[in-house]
Amino acid sequence: MFRLRNLALLTAPVGIALVAWSCERQPNAVAPSIGTPLAHFFQFECTPFKITGGGRIDYPPGTADKNPPSTHIYETFGAHVIASGQVGDNGQCLADKGSLEWVDHRPDFRINGRPLNLHSIEITFAERATDTDCSDGAGHWGGTLEVKNTGETADFEVFDCDNGEPGVGHDGFGIRAFPVNGQLYEVLCPDESLPPAEPSCTLTGGNRQFHPTH
Amino acid sequence: MKIDRVRRAIGLMGLVLPMSLAPASVAGQMRIAATAQAYGVSVSTPTANQTSPYAVLPTGGAMATDQGQSIDVAGLVTAQDAFAIVSGDADPEYGSSAVSSATLGAVSLLNGLISTDGVVAVASSSRDATGASSDAEGSTLSNLVVNGAEVADPAPNTRLDLPGVGYVILNEQSRTGDGWSSSGITVNMIHVVLQQPIVGLLGQVLGYRTVGNIIVGSATSSAN
Repeated sequence: MFRLRNLALLTAPVGIALVAWSCERQPNAVAPSIGTPLAHFFQFECTPFKITGGGRIDYPPGTADKNPPSTHIYETFGAHVIASGQVGDNGQCLADKGSLEWVDHRPDFRINGRPLNLHSIEITFAERATDTDCSDGAGHWGGTLEVKNTGETADFEVFDCDNGEPGVGHDGFGIRAFPVNGQLYEVLCPDESLPPAEPSCTLTGGNRQFHPTH
Repeated sequence: MKIDRVRRAIGLMGLVLPMSLAPASVAGQMRIAATAQAYGVSVSTPTANQTSPYAVLPTGGAMATDQGQSIDVAGLVTAQDAFAIVSGDADPEYGSSAVSSATLGAVSLLNGLISTDGVVAVASSSRDATGASSDAEGSTLSNLVVNGAEVADPAPNTRLDLPGVGYVILNEQSRTGDGWSSSGITVNMIHVVLQQPIVGLLGQVLGYRTVGNIIVGSATSSAN
């Protein structure tokens, strides 16, 4: 009995310290992986198309409602891609060209004193998603980017949705990149109840415009 | 005689009708365009003239970006973490779309007379077969203080006087286009108009004249 009490007295501070350490904020941490698409963006076809536009997402939670401005919990971006409709040697649908600029304004995502800033180097693939609820069209595309804060080169993919006009409250966008500051970075909303097509998050500003090309 | 007249009339219609229809459709296609520009800070005074960072949509569409980590214009404005992003495209068949955004972190104007720790300006325009529209959704100011008073979520075109300086327009929005074949919008989140009094011979103030402009967080888009 005495031994058990001693053991408890010894282990309790260690346990408290471990819990406190685990709760400590990691200043340069990136978003934890929150999952993959649940119901959409599984079926694709190689057809020529174009998606352009940009805007704002308030993630988390990634709904159509803006977070209070003083929280600085929002992301802004511009993204443009042209899919060739051709299939490459590796079976991927090839992109003609494109570009991505992404800024994460969340205070916890500042790296080296600046907001997290991702800038595309090359767009290597672009495929049309055929299993979404995006009324005007959806695309899955990506390639490589530079993490401007660190100089890292990362692979990335985006889930891009045009669900009519206006873009706010209708269109969606989500991104996954690795490595960003050595970790997986995701702004994805894998919630089937969120319009229009998970895992893209709903725009709180801006617009995405999809159209086929010939 | 009458038959000749009818023949001539039909001939004339045959010439004129195609001419009157064809240019209209060609002209309609020619007018398709998307434009966008964004900038973080613009100062225009007799002693300083600077815009930074600045991005403008290239002809033919796609995307353009610019950024500045730390901006200081002639002691009038300091700003951190400024980004300007524009993107868009115009297609004769599917219509045109343009989006621009300007974002900044901490901003101080006129030695702290106006300050904010977050500016987002977003302008979006689109045109398709159903019409044209623009909005500034997503534009916000965070922890804005003007002349010592907090200003939360200012409505579009909120004007506040700045004694001895001029006035400021917050969330300034101006629109262009007819809403059917074209639409455009400019949003300036902070627009300071610098003024000086016009003094009469007897020392009385006759009015004010504008001597400069400072704009922070500007986004413009249009589609037609």
